[in-house]
Amino acid sequence: MNRLLQIARAAALITLVPAIGVSMLELKQPRGVDFTLQNSPTPQKYLIETMPGGVALLDYNNDGLLDVFLVNGGHVDPKHPENFDRHDPRYWNRLYRQNKDGGFTDVTEQAGLANAGDGNYGMGVAVGDYDNDGYPDLYVTSYGKNILYHNNGDGTFTDVTAKAGVAGGGWSVSAGFFDYDNDGKLDLFVTRYMDWDMQHSKDCGGTFHTYCPPGEFPRTTNILYHNRGDGTFEDVSQRSGIAAKKGHGLGVAFADYDGDGFTDIYVANDGMQQYLFHNNRNGTFTEVALQAGAALNLDGGPLSGMGVVFQDYDNDGKPDVIVTTLPRQTYAVFHNDGSGAFSDRGLQTGVTMLSGATSGWGVGLEDFDNDGQKDLFITQGHVLDNVELIDPSLHYLEPTLLALNHNGRFERTDPGTDALVSGRGAAFGDLNNDGWVDAVTTVLGAHPQFFFNRGGSSHWLTITLRGTRSNRDGLGARVQVNGQTRFATTAGSYASANDKRLHFGLGSAKSAKIEVFWPSGTHQVLNDISADQFLDVREPEKP
Amino acid sequence: MIRTVLALWLAMQAASPEVMQHFEAGRKAESERHFDTAAAEFRKVTELDPAFAAGFVSLGQVYMEQRDYAAAVAPLKHALELDPNFAPAHQLLGYALLAQGYAAEAIPHLARVQEQSALGIAEIETGQFIDAIANLQAALQKRPNDPDLLYYLGRASGLLSKQSIDTLQATAPDSPRAHQSMGENYFVLRRMPEAEKEYREALRLRPDVPEVHLELGVVYATSSQWAKAEQEFRAQAKLQPGDAEAAYRFGTALLEQGKVHEARVEFVRADRLMPDMPETLYSLGKTASLEGDTAVAERAWIKLLSIEKQSSLAAQAHFGLAGLYRKLGKAAEAQHEMQEFENLQNTPQPEKQK
Repeated sequence: MNRLLQIARAAALITLVPAIGVSMLELKQPRGVDFTLQNSPTPQKYLIETMPGGVALLDYNNDGLLDVFLVNGGHVDPKHPENFDRHDPRYWNRLYRQNKDGGFTDVTEQAGLANAGDGNYGMGVAVGDYDNDGYPDLYVTSYGKNILYHNNGDGTFTDVTAKAGVAGGGWSVSAGFFDYDNDGKLDLFVTRYMDWDMQHSKDCGGTFHTYCPPGEFPRTTNILYHNRGDGTFEDVSQRSGIAAKKGHGLGVAFADYDGDGFTDIYVANDGMQQYLFHNNRNGTFTEVALQAGAALNLDGGPLSGMGVVFQDYDNDGKPDVIVTTLPRQTYAVFHNDGSGAFSDRGLQTGVTMLSGATSGWGVGLEDFDNDGQKDLFITQGHVLDNVELIDPSLHYLEPTLLALNHNGRFERTDPGTDALVSGRGAAFGDLNNDGWVDAVTTVLGAHPQFFFNRGGSSHWLTITLRGTRSNRDGLGARVQVNGQTRFATTAGSYASANDKRLHFGLGSAKSAKIEVFWPSGTHQVLNDISADQFLDVREPEKP
Repeated sequence: MIRTVLALWLAMQAASPEVMQHFEAGRKAESERHFDTAAAEFRKVTELDPAFAAGFVSLGQVYMEQRDYAAAVAPLKHALELDPNFAPAHQLLGYALLAQGYAAEAIPHLARVQEQSALGIAEIETGQFIDAIANLQAALQKRPNDPDLLYYLGRASGLLSKQSIDTLQATAPDSPRAHQSMGENYFVLRRMPEAEKEYREALRLRPDVPEVHLELGVVYATSSQWAKAEQEFRAQAKLQPGDAEAAYRFGTALLEQGKVHEARVEFVRADRLMPDMPETLYSLGKTASLEGDTAVAERAWIKLLSIEKQSSLAAQAHFGLAGLYRKLGKAAEAQHEMQEFENLQNTPQPEKQK
């Protein structure tokens, strides 16, 4: 009898743990995606060449299947700088519609997304339904002019940049939609990297000729656009205090770190201190990273911040920050200690040990094994395409990092490939609607990588928020499920946009208690919700 | 010096008044830096009295003041033919030959007058590194912190080191030490896989060879392979328990893996073995702070700041203290430390390019 019990327990355990030697993720190129990220490296080492490009996972046609939008760089011709040949199909951004059979169809041209405009070298993408019409809109960042594409709801998009007043200018990288004043309309934040242009480019590294570090060029401001609700935005960068701080902004992520009901902004800056813009609840922000302990590493050193994720990794209900960096630094883990303070937990979480020799870009905290703890996924690759000449112990092409979360400590596991790549963007979502999170990354000069989750037997719950008083997608909501917390956002990672749905692994639990803290202030509780379903949660129309 | 010796020597010489008149005229012109005039007067002296050695030495000296070392050699050599013991002639000839790259020829003349600085330099050129080091060290005792002497001493030491290693590689290429030295070379070139291979071979041949575990640990640490680094530093600490660096590096490898308490034990040990090393004090404070032992952390960082005030470690200590005081609710102290940190951090921003 005892022996039978032991066997039964062992069998139960086996069903919860992925088989040893089989990766949780499988790298698989889906049919129909033939995109190549054209960064066009030149001997002149224009810095933009090493920085694209983003990827977005969105359901643009509301057919229940995630589609993929990929941002392209452009053609860099030193004889004709500032052109980039974006009219040439090789340099188009691309939208791939997912078909019911799991394959994809390139719908770029019919969707009206073909030519991103000569003079624009593509960088990143943000997704949000800024007009609350139920269809996700696209905002594409560039060196040059950014573009806001309004989703017409019929499979096409319209460039409404001029009308909306969100062209930006200079060198934008990441962007994200969020509702900073809780008025139910999504606003827009755009990071900008530096005050740089093609005419004033230079290379560094002496005879090695490398891309220059950011400190070689002046800092610049990020941009905050306020959504007026009539299809136009107002640049409130100055008035809000955002423009008071210049930096080398790359990644951006949002969360309400101090629980005051207003969304705050974290900006990953390259080669300097990071910025945490605290929302003052009156339309202004104060940069508080240094005093909050989220600006520098444990030793007071600056970070080459590139990607960033702002989610709760240790299920204490408070959003933490993970910033990806260059090698010879380590990825930063700023644990939210409460009371507005953070502490660097890179050592305790094992993340220090996982980094140090690699360059991290796109990053996500997602529960890949559905055990109720968010795991860490980072796409990696050095900035310098000739770094081996300078330091043979470093490498331009790097492996992808997947680390499982074991009670707050991350341990490396097989990401499904040992391919070495120059990874940049990364977006996360359930591509095949099987209840297990997948990932898509972009690779310089190569096809994107699709990491499909092999799945398992643990339970899960995926929630789509339907805001009524809040913005339609409930971005900015804090959602708690069986002791886990997620902040509703499509932003984070690097230059990319994630599936708006909130995914929760439930482990062995077959039901869940859900609490939603909507941006409107409404607190909604749902009990005994069955596991293993895609659930729409509609915000009560009355508080 | 040379002039004083010449004056004493002259007092013992007998020369005609006419010769002495030209000689004095040459010396006067030389003191006024009219070198062409001085050279003409001294040439006249050597013509009037070909046995007057001081005339040839003075002519050679004027040429040297004009940086015409080649021209100086002949009169100086002639002076030594007249008087082989004439010290100023040896000294000047030694310099003149060395300046033209004839180090081997210069050495006997410089040795004769114990001109240790120039002799040391000449010995570097001829590959006599041990003698060069001895002479340069002796010269440095007379002229402490002389930049040229310090440079040449460093160069001689480096070349001696290279010579020793070359000999090692040539005579015992399969010895543990040869593999160790190859490992060191690869490490400097940042070729870590090759460095690792050489160190591993050294340890295979002789598992207890001192310092190899330490160096191999550094290779792993450089490439962030902390578990392997820990293993090597642990082995080094076991082999040489009195090695403070091994204890410090062992602690660092443990800390990087999040083994905070074990790391702290090693930092305490390192501090005991070699007290008041700023790096150890910083790490000791860091681990104590991570363990919530604020008193020890504060003490370690304040001690560090009493030793170093402007370094990057000092900045780190201020940053650590700021965080520590913030947690303790000491806002004013935290602000002060953060200000000190920022003062040490401030770097100018590049100007706008357009």
